Amino acid sequence: MKNCKTIFILIFVTGTGNQVGQRTLHILHNSEYPASSFALLEVPVNAAASGAASNTNQSSTPAPTVKTVSLVADNLFDLLVLKMAPVYTSKKIKIEAKGPRFELGDFVVKLGSVVMSQNFKGILVEVEYRPCIMADACWDLLMEFVQGIFGHNAVSSVPRTLQPRMKEVYTPLDTMHQYMDQFSAFRKAAGIR
Amino acid sequence: MSNSVSVSVEVPLENLVQEITYDGMELLQQPLTMSESLAKLAQRIDFCGKDEEGGAGSSSAAAGSTNENGDVKEEDTVNGEGGPDSNFKTSQSWPWESVRNKIRSALTELSVLGDILTIAQKKQYMVLDPVQAEPSDTKPPAVLMYKKKALGAASQVLLGGCERLRASMNEAKSRPSLATLDFHIELLRLRQNWRLRKVGNAILGDLSYRTAGSRFPQGGIFEVTKAEDDTEEGMADALSTSSQSQPPPPKPCSALRVTVPNELQGIAYIHVHVQKDQDTLSFANIGLPAPAPLDAHWQQRLEAAQNVLFCKELFSVLAREAVALHSMPIPPLVVGNQITATLFPGILLIIGLCHSITGKTQSPPAVSSKLDHNHVLEHSLHQLLREVHRTNSHIPLPHPATAPIGISRKRRLGGPCAYDRQTLLNMTKKEGILEEIIKQSQHVILRLRAMYFLDTLAKEIKDPLLVAHWASINAVTHSCVRITLVSSGYDMCARTQLVIHIKEKSLKAILKDGKAINLSYEPQELKDLLLCQIAIHQIMALQSLSKCLGWTVLSSCSHLGVGNCESTGNAAGCMLTSPNGKRILAVRSSPQAFMSAASIQVFIGYPPNAKYTTQQNNNNPIPMEVDDTSAATLGFEGMDLAAGVRYKSVRLDKLEGKNFLNKMEMLMAVLADVS
Repeated sequence: MKNCKTIFILIFVTGTGNQVGQRTLHILHNSEYPASSFALLEVPVNAAASGAASNTNQSSTPAPTVKTVSLVADNLFDLLVLKMAPVYTSKKIKIEAKGPRFELGDFVVKLGSVVMSQNFKGILVEVEYRPCIMADACWDLLMEFVQGIFGHNAVSSVPRTLQPRMKEVYTPLDTMHQYMDQFSAFRKAAGIR
Repeated sequence: MSNSVSVSVEVPLENLVQEITYDGMELLQQPLTMSESLAKLAQRIDFCGKDEEGGAGSSSAAAGSTNENGDVKEEDTVNGEGGPDSNFKTSQSWPWESVRNKIRSALTELSVLGDILTIAQKKQYMVLDPVQAEPSDTKPPAVLMYKKKALGAASQVLLGGCERLRASMNEAKSRPSLATLDFHIELLRLRQNWRLRKVGNAILGDLSYRTAGSRFPQGGIFEVTKAEDDTEEGMADALSTSSQSQPPPPKPCSALRVTVPNELQGIAYIHVHVQKDQDTLSFANIGLPAPAPLDAHWQQRLEAAQNVLFCKELFSVLAREAVALHSMPIPPLVVGNQITATLFPGILLIIGLCHSITGKTQSPPAVSSKLDHNHVLEHSLHQLLREVHRTNSHIPLPHPATAPIGISRKRRLGGPCAYDRQTLLNMTKKEGILEEIIKQSQHVILRLRAMYFLDTLAKEIKDPLLVAHWASINAVTHSCVRITLVSSGYDMCARTQLVIHIKEKSLKAILKDGKAINLSYEPQELKDLLLCQIAIHQIMALQSLSKCLGWTVLSSCSHLGVGNCESTGNAAGCMLTSPNGKRILAVRSSPQAFMSAASIQVFIGYPPNAKYTTQQNNNNPIPMEVDDTSAATLGFEGMDLAAGVRYKSVRLDKLEGKNFLNKMEMLMAVLADVS
């Protein structure tokens, strides 16, 4: 079992888009891929409102669905975003998951304690099975492994972001989507927005 | 009327009623959406300004009032006033049609203009004549004076140069030595080949590889002077000593003399030598030019000096890497002008720098003529150093202004492709020249050894023939050979193939069934593998032969676990039964004793109840005749097999036949005929 530090840093940046919704740009770094920056842009998509409202006093509240546009870029991307300061104002919310990394045969287990602006939020456990590139093929194996650690508390449902991509080749971007999901849940849990 | 009433004009906020249904509900006209109102405004854009007959009314209407109802009324009035155009406007089906039409007419006009220009360019059907511009009023006398002054200055320069040339030509004519006449021509030729510059009064040149990317600190600056002073002294000496009947000193063959720095004088070459104990296994001499005596032509001397510089740089790079190399179990040794590296236990690679100042070289150490000069090693060393020069001078594209420069293309893709730490680390490792050359030498040794071994084995073993096909296109550290074991006369039915990949420190054999076996550099392992394959080949060949003859294979095994334990590999064996079922053949092929006759053992099995007539001589009953009548039609079936099948061995050396398969064919033919 090898032990080394892993750091995830997440920076939130909100953008001033059009009046209807706010586009949020999240920038993530992962110490496993030190040369890359991951950027996830969430664009709220409104349902079509033309011709739907028959009365003027009926306020149209479109059901907001969020479309995520993702990007993997070089480390220089951070400097580029700094130049785009007028478009995306930085909110300076930083979430970090930091902790030891263990290798057990073909499995890699990372324990991260999530800290948001010096407040401890929770613990994330990431399990990776290295030989497989398709999530569908090794999901059961992963579940077995996780159940061995957590017992009955283990969640056996496929994560939301991974569900449509079970039969495709797994990329580091999928990992970052999952982290993004978890971090958003952590943020919402404390009610800070 | 003095009472003035203020009238306020307001826009009614309600929409017009479009229709009232039968139950009294009013259906309001929907307010225009953004796109519809934009389309409406676009309709009223006046592109060519022609329909201004409507006059101020229409232009003010197009000025962009947003009042809906007011707009509708005004447009109606304009439409009423206008001619057929307005009728056309109102009957438009598509809001953007007028825009489209305007743009289309503009496109037509532009195309016409384009066509006119192309036709006018051809000058065949249409020619553009310039309109005579008005002549500018200049003062002719002033212009004339300016021109005269300019021409005068130019002519001065030319005359000055001409004077100088004439003076030097006269000087040259006055002194009867053809050398000075040629000095400039020689200098011109020198400049075409080498970089020269003038510093003060002296002409200096540079023969280093600096512009090609070399960073070697030792520079190569040479000086160029006229050779005429030398000639004079030489001739004076000749005159004074002519009485002693000495041959006059040879006339210099060129007009200029090149002075090369002291440390670059003479000849140098790098000597690469692979040595086992005392024998040389392979060698290469890099950069061994023809000897250049001191009074040789300047081109040869300069080239020799440049070669010396190259060899020195190459050796210094190798020496530096040898000192820093820690990845090998026995680090290379640098002593003076020689680097010694260990390739395999007992085999050394010796790289030496040989530099002789006098210009006379002793002939390279005599090597046996069997070995040829290994061109690959020579070429590789040159190429490796040139590669280092090239990477110093060529930075791979792109050259961004805001990002680090000089990173390889693969590393630039590391970010967007999300490479992990291990991949990035592997990219940073770079091998030096010495490591490369050591790897190549190791591969050369392994390849030579494998070739030699396969040749000797092919000479020794005749029964299955061993045919080796070497791939003609190989990499510097990877060669490939395909070995076919074939029995002479039976190549269609029995052929075993295997491929051997030879790398730097190991071999990899891929057998026909797909098994990949990794061998080390010891030659014994290859020998064992091949002997095992030969043993298996004999059994496989026998099986396919038995198919042709109608014999049935009872069992076959490539790795037998019965019988004597083999010291190398496993024995292979098979059991066949004759078509009428009355005889069994059991064959065992062992790789161990292959060179001797005891490698293949053949046994004939007789049914249990067969009677034997024994020979009186030995105790072992040798069946001279076998009486099968009691077990006539049954053979081995229905027998009490607990009684046991009796096996008798066959002496293969007494059988007729060229090789093993031939003998077995004979045997099987005979045994099948037993009735």
